[in-house]
Amino acid sequence: MAITKHCGIKIKGIVNVIPALTEDNLLLPIIDEKERQKLVEHTGIRYRRISKLPVKYLFNKGIKEAMELTGWSNDDIDILICVTQTTELSIPSLACQLHGELDFNQQTICYDINSGCSGYVYGLQTIASLLSTLNSKKPRALLCCGDVSSHLLSPDDTSTQPIFSDAISVTAIEFDSNDNSVTARFNLETIGKGQRAIYTEMNSLNKKIMRLNGIDVFAYSVKYVPQNIISLIQSAEMHNEIPEAYVFHQANKLINDSIVRKLNLNIDKVPNTLNQFGNTASASIPITLCTRLNEINNWVLLSGFGVGFSVASALIKLSDFVPHKTIEI
Amino acid sequence: MSLPLNEIETFLDFTAYELSISKNSISLETRFREIPSWSSLNALIYISRINEITNVLITSGDLSEIDNLGDIYKLIKERRNGDN
Repeated sequence: MAITKHCGIKIKGIVNVIPALTEDNLLLPIIDEKERQKLVEHTGIRYRRISKLPVKYLFNKGIKEAMELTGWSNDDIDILICVTQTTELSIPSLACQLHGELDFNQQTICYDINSGCSGYVYGLQTIASLLSTLNSKKPRALLCCGDVSSHLLSPDDTSTQPIFSDAISVTAIEFDSNDNSVTARFNLETIGKGQRAIYTEMNSLNKKIMRLNGIDVFAYSVKYVPQNIISLIQSAEMHNEIPEAYVFHQANKLINDSIVRKLNLNIDKVPNTLNQFGNTASASIPITLCTRLNEINNWVLLSGFGVGFSVASALIKLSDFVPHKTIEI
Repeated sequence: MSLPLNEIETFLDFTAYELSISKNSISLETRFREIPSWSSLNALIYISRINEITNVLITSGDLSEIDNLGDIYKLIKERRNGDN
């Protein structure tokens, strides 16, 4: 169990960038027409977004919007981390490419994290750890999360096509060295024997495609996610009524409902964006969080789980209003 | 539909309902992969419903080692009894 706690970490803004191009699962030709309604009912996913543009373009747009939202300038950014698994170029890192395009300061720490559905929480924990070590009163970071998963899908794969959707999110994070109160707690875990639950392989045309074993993703999620959350809440000496919202990675309705049931949560505290946006990998938590930000002024629980098999949960204190926006491009 | 699944008849009722087939068309000897409605989606729904009712988790590895509905029934009975 890797439980950490951090003082003075504050989320200062979130920008979601969502492609306007939308596909409707009720019109998905690879699924038998009679099965489509059942698919939507059980996955919870009606619409998915498709980006023809590379993930770098979406991140670039999101960063610019986040700078405008927060009023930060290029010289303010101490850390830029990109969490993605769908870069066009594996070398150099996407964070370095964006650093060059956006003309950030030479003193910026830049790197990528290869992670999917648990990636937002992993990114937050990485940034929380790094920020507090910097020799600055109020160091700042940008966490870019998301994928263009549609670029990895086989057009005839009925397991992946109805589920995955494209989007990214950029979160602005600041460390206040004068704040000694705990504002973030994390529990990060890995179950590597589940590495074949979601993976990529080369198809006969030498194209990289993503494969999903839905039954194993279900089994690993239901087995490991509730316990990960319970351990985190217990370590914080809280009870599960305290978080004002439980924001889960938007995997699919079958999985998410099972986790909610096992934790005996009040469904009113569990926002859901599956129907509109599908499974947007590491962007799904911030996208879903933004639907509740206007109502939250204390602890929120975030939980990401999936490719790895990786499970990561966080308790984040959101005592100040977090400006946010969701834009379509 | 909520059934304890600890009797053969209730297990077959449950399976017929979840896989949208006639109960008369299945038995414990039925090879589940040959059920016309057995698809990746319906298999996932079926496995998730078993978990919802019994708290037993069945993985794709489990399914790859078994063949018929009786094997699934046996797996549920064993795991509910804490044998595995």
